[in-house]
Amino acid sequence: MAMRNAYVDQFPSEARLISAAFWSSFLALAIGGSLGLVQALHRTDYLRFIDSVDYYTVLTAHGVLLAITFTIFFLVGIFTWAVTTSLDRGLEDLRFSWAWYAMMVVGTVLVGVSILGGVVDSIDMQADVLFTFYAPLQAHPAFYVGLVLFVVGTWLAGADWFRTWWAWRGENPDERIPLPTFMTLTTTLFWYLCTLGVALSILVLLLPWSMGIVDSVNPLLSRTLFWYFGHAVVYFWLMPAYMMWYIMLPKLSGGKLFSDPLARVVFVLFLLLSTPTGIHHQYLDPGIAEGYKFIAMTNTMFLLLPSLLTAFTVVASMEHGARQRGGTGYLGWLKALPWRDPVFTGMALAGLMFAAAGFSGMINAGMNINYLVHNTWWIVGHFHLTVGTAVALTFMAAAYWFVPQVTGKQLWNRSLALGQVLLWFVGMTFMSNAMHRSGLFGMPRRTAEPQYQGFNFEPAAGTVGEINAQVALGAALLTIALALFLLNMVMTTIGGESDAIPDNTYAGTLSGPEDAPVVLDNLKLWTAIATVLVVFAYTLPLASIIDAGGLFGPGIEGFQLTIGIDPAIVLESVREVMP
Amino acid sequence: MNIHTYEKVWLAAAMVLIVGFIATITYGAVGPGIAMIDDEAGSIDPAEINDDERFAEPGVEHVGGNEYEVTVVAQAWSYSPAEIEVPANSEVTFYVTSRDVTHSFSVVGTNVNTMVIPGQVSEMTVQFDEPGEYGILCNEYCGEYHHTMEGKLNVVPEDEFDLTELSVEAPDEVDAGNETTITANVSNGMQEDLETTATLEIGEQQSERDVTVAGDSTEQVEFTVDTADLGEGDHDWTVTVDDYEESGTLSVVADDGNASADGGDGDA
Ligand code: HEM
Ligand SMILES: [Cu+2]
Ligand SMILES: [Cu+2]
Repeated sequence: MAMRNAYVDQFPSEARLISAAFWSSFLALAIGGSLGLVQALHRTDYLRFIDSVDYYTVLTAHGVLLAITFTIFFLVGIFTWAVTTSLDRGLEDLRFSWAWYAMMVVGTVLVGVSILGGVVDSIDMQADVLFTFYAPLQAHPAFYVGLVLFVVGTWLAGADWFRTWWAWRGENPDERIPLPTFMTLTTTLFWYLCTLGVALSILVLLLPWSMGIVDSVNPLLSRTLFWYFGHAVVYFWLMPAYMMWYIMLPKLSGGKLFSDPLARVVFVLFLLLSTPTGIHHQYLDPGIAEGYKFIAMTNTMFLLLPSLLTAFTVVASMEHGARQRGGTGYLGWLKALPWRDPVFTGMALAGLMFAAAGFSGMINAGMNINYLVHNTWWIVGHFHLTVGTAVALTFMAAAYWFVPQVTGKQLWNRSLALGQVLLWFVGMTFMSNAMHRSGLFGMPRRTAEPQYQGFNFEPAAGTVGEINAQVALGAALLTIALALFLLNMVMTTIGGESDAIPDNTYAGTLSGPEDAPVVLDNLKLWTAIATVLVVFAYTLPLASIIDAGGLFGPGIEGFQLTIGIDPAIVLESVREVMP
Repeated sequence: MNIHTYEKVWLAAAMVLIVGFIATITYGAVGPGIAMIDDEAGSIDPAEINDDERFAEPGVEHVGGNEYEVTVVAQAWSYSPAEIEVPANSEVTFYVTSRDVTHSFSVVGTNVNTMVIPGQVSEMTVQFDEPGEYGILCNEYCGEYHHTMEGKLNVVPEDEFDLTELSVEAPDEVDAGNETTITANVSNGMQEDLETTATLEIGEQQSERDVTVAGDSTEQVEFTVDTADLGEGDHDWTVTVDDYEESGTLSVVADDGNASADGGDGDA
């Protein structure tokens, strides 16, 4: 029998760490995804078994668990795999690695418990502030502390990858950085750059304020610092998915990556442009001059470039693979792709959805068209295509390959896996399309009961009832797909070891790193330019916000409009102050 | 670096697309004048809203010609005013601020949509060409009853629109045999003169007075009521100015020399 050469055989200790990260991620997906169904049924009024005031606790958990916990735990696993595999060396010190993992877990638990306090009376905390935690809505300090621990955990993870690379470079001074490591490092660099904003916002403004050390907050300042991080974080989710499309999809298609140099250019562009774009989430914010919004808009449009280049490279690589497998014809080669492989099909469908998301994203990015859709369900439709599918479906498909790699156990049921990725695709088509349409007639996001007393929504085509039915149907299909995914993962993990695990490899390249100018590997240079761009984009707006509202705000004290207060009393006190 | 020809073509097409987008949006911003929400309207201390010149009495104001200003205060979980009326063919500038947390002010199905951030004033100018009714909603989470936060915007035909207000001062009680006065305060929020008629009906009697109220001011119209014509007992009265009316009851009582004749104001 041939020697098995899976990841777990090469790096058994790292494999355990990656498994742990994956399972933390799946757990978050399981809980967060189920809450998604609760939300969809509640909003559309198909089934309301929670109180509408608790809807926002549920939504906070859904946002945090999926957008932060699920994605980031999975990607630290992937990046650890990428660095160790492509450098062919283990992490420097596993104790350090487990320490950052533990820190992320503790952070998540703190955040989770403080959110749970919103519905469980015996926990004397609340964090009904949604995953954007806009001040002066105020959460329990544990929520902010948890977020900081989680982020610092990811910083240390990044340090771990850098350490490994430095050690490798010491032994291989003249070699190019292998592509998967290059992708990991550039992503880590912009992650450092962007999380600085949210860390400052939490440590300097929000945490002291929630603990009563300072008694006021500047809402626009903390909001701007949030979005300084909030756009780049979407690329943090997306880069591991891109990595999969660059280095796994070509291999799965039976070919090679079209161009290593172009892949490097793409990741450098993301390093440069991810952060100085955040103000595009604030097109509708008062207190920020139009010129700064314009700069963010221009940068955002240029961010289309690396994604368009990716579309080209990925499709070209797949075509190359298909032709290697005997595919012919103008489009006929598509038939030669391995559509029965859930890993390939899941990633390909995820990529397809990302292309669709690109179109709605261009609408969002347009400063003035944005007015029509800002904070409507259009946006929610958009990011369920991006993070909810391009990222989440790529991760689930990747898990079908990775979990066997890190456990040495064969995927329990391949056909089920194939059905699962298809079902997710179909479910999301329904849900997301209906959400996009809702947004066009003004259906707001983040709203427990979007049914109003004084007016009705008027869709240009179709009816609100029909659109709601599609949301509910889509959500139900997605939840089934989610359950099938988890079932497959559990059964795989409790199954026995197998010798039939493929080797741990990734795609070769048609045009290799030798074609890429050496300057592309100069991470210091790119980091410096990225920093300068951020300074250009943010210094003046931040200065004018602080100048107008003060670092700690003009006596804006904070509100917990959510715990244990009788709404009648609140309404009354509001009426009293009303002129 | 070795770049495939197709890749070069794609790269060029991508750049053209991007520059095209930027050009279109720039044109949209400076050309047809789709202005962005920005920092022009300045900042405000939420604790001082009630003393603020602009926000102390939120509502609709006429600036002149077809231009109007509407000030709105958002708070958990309502807007003041909850219902806004403006005429068609008008240019309306909204000023919105928040008393507590971040809200939005979003006119459903239009691109009138802004974040309302405590400490900041959102300003936007909108043309309303046709009459219509719009819902207003808050699309930014603002606490546990966020989903109940709504308002209404009515754009009415020009000839049905005015900013006239009527408030009447009348005593509740008067001694039989005395004369008393019912005063109608007619205020005109428009910048042009308002020419109208105030009518008082009381008992079987009716009196009319023509009145001209200058722009942005108030006129008092006094109706003298002689109880001798009415006789003892309760008498319902109604003051009417255009579509506005206010009613009350005047009691004419026998003079037993004990109560004061001045019963106070009619309910305003
Ligand atoms: C079973 C699958 C899912 C369902 C049924 C679902 C459903 C929903 C619904 C109905 C909302 C809208 C809530 C509102 O606007 O009131 C929502 C929001 C959201 N979803 Fe999902 N979702 C699913 C999966 C995901 C995944 C996989 C992700 C990310 C990886 C995700 C991320 C988010 C985020 C970030 C929000 C916004 C939260 C906020 O506005 O604060 N969802 N989801
Ligand atoms: Cu963004
Ligand atoms: Cu709200």
